[in-house]
Amino acid sequence: MNDLSRRHFLHLIAASLGSLGGIYLTGCLNQEKLLTKSIDSEKISPTIFQPDPTSTEIPPTATDLATSTPENTPEPSPTIAYPNLVVARNGDPEEMVRKAVQALGGMERFVKSGDKVVVKPNICVAYHGYKYAATTNPWVVAAIVKLALEAGAKNVKVMDYPFGGSAEQAYNVSGIKAEVNKAGGKMVVMSNLRYVDTSIPKGKDLKSTKIYNGVLNADVLINVPIAKHHELARLTLAMKNMMGVISNRPMMHANLGQRLADLNSRVRSSLVIVDAVRMLMNHGPSGGNLADVKKADTIIASPDIVAADSYAATLFGLKPNDLTYIKKGKEMGLGENNLSKLKIEEINLG
Amino acid sequence: MVDNKKKSPSGLTPDQWLNLRKYSQLFFLILLLVFYLWSRREFYLFPGGGSGIKQKLINLPLKLDPLVMIVQLLASRTFLIGSLLAVITVILTLLLGRVWCGWFCPVGTLLDWFPFRSWKRSSPNIPEGLRGVKYVLLLVILFAGLLKNISLLFLDPITILYRTMTTAIWPALDQIVTGIELALYRIPFLGPAVSGFDSLIRPSIFPPHPASYRYGGLYFGFFLGIIALNNLAPRFWCRYLCPLGGMLAFLGKFSFIQCEITPECNLCGNCISICPTGAIQSNDHVFCDPGECTMCLACAAECPGRAVTYPARITQIIRQPYDIERRKILVSLGTAVLGVSLLESYPVSENKSPKLLRPPGVINDRLLSTCIRCGECSTVCPTNAIQLTVGEAGMEGLWTPMLIPRIGYCDYSCHACGQVCPVEAIPPLSLEEKRKQIIGRAYLDTNRCIPWADNQDCIVCEEVCPIPDKAIRLEETLIVTPEGEQKIVQRPFVIRKRCTGCGICENKCPLSGEAAIQVLLPQGHFQEISF
Repeated sequence: MNDLSRRHFLHLIAASLGSLGGIYLTGCLNQEKLLTKSIDSEKISPTIFQPDPTSTEIPPTATDLATSTPENTPEPSPTIAYPNLVVARNGDPEEMVRKAVQALGGMERFVKSGDKVVVKPNICVAYHGYKYAATTNPWVVAAIVKLALEAGAKNVKVMDYPFGGSAEQAYNVSGIKAEVNKAGGKMVVMSNLRYVDTSIPKGKDLKSTKIYNGVLNADVLINVPIAKHHELARLTLAMKNMMGVISNRPMMHANLGQRLADLNSRVRSSLVIVDAVRMLMNHGPSGGNLADVKKADTIIASPDIVAADSYAATLFGLKPNDLTYIKKGKEMGLGENNLSKLKIEEINLG
Repeated sequence: MVDNKKKSPSGLTPDQWLNLRKYSQLFFLILLLVFYLWSRREFYLFPGGGSGIKQKLINLPLKLDPLVMIVQLLASRTFLIGSLLAVITVILTLLLGRVWCGWFCPVGTLLDWFPFRSWKRSSPNIPEGLRGVKYVLLLVILFAGLLKNISLLFLDPITILYRTMTTAIWPALDQIVTGIELALYRIPFLGPAVSGFDSLIRPSIFPPHPASYRYGGLYFGFFLGIIALNNLAPRFWCRYLCPLGGMLAFLGKFSFIQCEITPECNLCGNCISICPTGAIQSNDHVFCDPGECTMCLACAAECPGRAVTYPARITQIIRQPYDIERRKILVSLGTAVLGVSLLESYPVSENKSPKLLRPPGVINDRLLSTCIRCGECSTVCPTNAIQLTVGEAGMEGLWTPMLIPRIGYCDYSCHACGQVCPVEAIPPLSLEEKRKQIIGRAYLDTNRCIPWADNQDCIVCEEVCPIPDKAIRLEETLIVTPEGEQKIVQRPFVIRKRCTGCGICENKCPLSGEAAIQVLLPQGHFQEISF
């Protein structure tokens, strides 16, 4: 009896180990596929809006054509001009975001019905509430979530990977979780499993790194940095905010400007909204001192990441080219850093 | 066969009573897990939100343990309101005997689940006198406690369980789950489900960073040893060694309800062979020693003649040869005095190694006479910064908490360790107070630091420093590289006065192996700054 059950037991163990091994091997096969897939996919998902810094025109949508009368539109291909960049001031955060996005052509220009939207705020530490300006303003994030959902997004996920404290903790402390949940968005803890080796075909210094595939696979990526001080980069803005989607961050510091530009050539933001409601003027990126916080009540929105960062730099009294990554971003053709070449619309809500 | 359908006066059949006991054991084991998981999340996720009642309840399993509560009271000379909870266990034992051991104790439950009965060809004859060991251990712990040394509390079953779960079982589970996740994630249709599990469910079970604890095998081996002893006799640990069992056995002698074998007994011997603790013996008649009986009721279910009863009355205490007697008391006292004096004659922990960083707010001397070695602080530390000492604090400081910044840093927005410590060895500070505690100070090794030694920008330590005014600053320096090139490099330096020694700089330093910036105890002026 004893012997029989022992043998039976061993059989069971062998069978389960065998099947586990089988599953594992299948998994390994698939890993190869997954890797090649992500390396091959050089082109960015076609639904992502790719900013063209030289053009301010976008073709009309079907509805535009339907409503336009022959008298008004004699040309076969009429165009609508939107500003490159919108600055909204002196309103409450949600109102500023709404007006700014509206001036850019509305969220419908960026988010199509059924799109999966990822919003990437800066939630870099779990140390302080939003008043300390170390993390993006919760109402700015919530407003974007609402706009995206109103534009027909299938779902809106909000995520970041803090370096100080855990994600869950930071989502709570920053106040972003509460507002995003109210707005109907979803806070996602970034899973370590989903960082995949991704090649950066246009990269000059950074040729490949592990990037969060939830961001890579999103239809629309909305980049919502907070404008704040950073000792090495001088300021951390939209391009620097993309540090949050990779797993190996220390290596970025070796050649920060170029590598940020390289990273942004692969992970393209469809829309950039810089939160300068509160700006952290010193002791960034973690902050902690209210004396370093300046209330500016400003929102900068642009589909052009370099333009948005360039304008945000001027809020700190810096020239765009004072920031290496803006300079490198322009060189890489990621956008325009010459503010005089841009069509800028200023909205004062005060 | 025994007729187990017959009901006892309580209205339940003996079999029903046995089942009730099993459910009770399972329930309390699960309850312990619930408390364990709750404590892992509560205070780090909601920093500063820890209200008094949560802080007093979260470590309930440890507070119900009368041994740790009494010994820490003796040693620290500080009375904690929370330790009154242990009175519940004492009263329960005085009423019902060692029900703690038979119905509640999670270690006892696990030991019951590994009886090794089927493996046992012949049980070795263990001398009855060995039962006295648990009393000697108990007395040594109590006497040493009076002498302000509580190192031996690492033998308490609840602290053993907490320590083993934290340092061995949870990290191993973490690894296993990660392995399974990685394997399943690669299967296409399972991918989303696995990553969903990883970001939704996993954080509530495992710490945010992969659990890493030193010497997990050591703790697991210790626990495995206790279970393996079951091979010699069922519940070997509870019978012969457990000091908490010793304390409850002493109290159980006086219990109001005791197992009694009536003269109707036909001397079949069923109860003697079934009793898991060997409490039922026979010389001229069959009797049960209430000190050894865990009230498991197995004997009542086995007795064909219903001769096992549990009357409620004050019974005369029958002394057994292995009970506490004068000789044991004297031997224990001698051992405790000699042992403590030998430890004191060369206190390693007093020779503070500069790397013996204690959790925020801890005073080293007070820690040694207060810490019950449960490792609960280590459990809740979200970054695994708190590890248990093995040799660092000497033998007297074995398995006390220390911070190892290279493993984890003291999170600026977490004060969980002080909130969950059942004996306030780590003071329950508010988040604001905790942020001001000096754990140590950062020292920079300019021979290895990248900007200093290799003229390259790095700034990681400055970036991550959580101090509002930054305890690490950068200095722009114009240097000439060995190749003759002029270059501006941002070199970090530490403003020692601002540094609290949280260790995030050491933790995040990108160098491999030892960091170029390390948190050390500044000798001398440390004491005056400390809490």
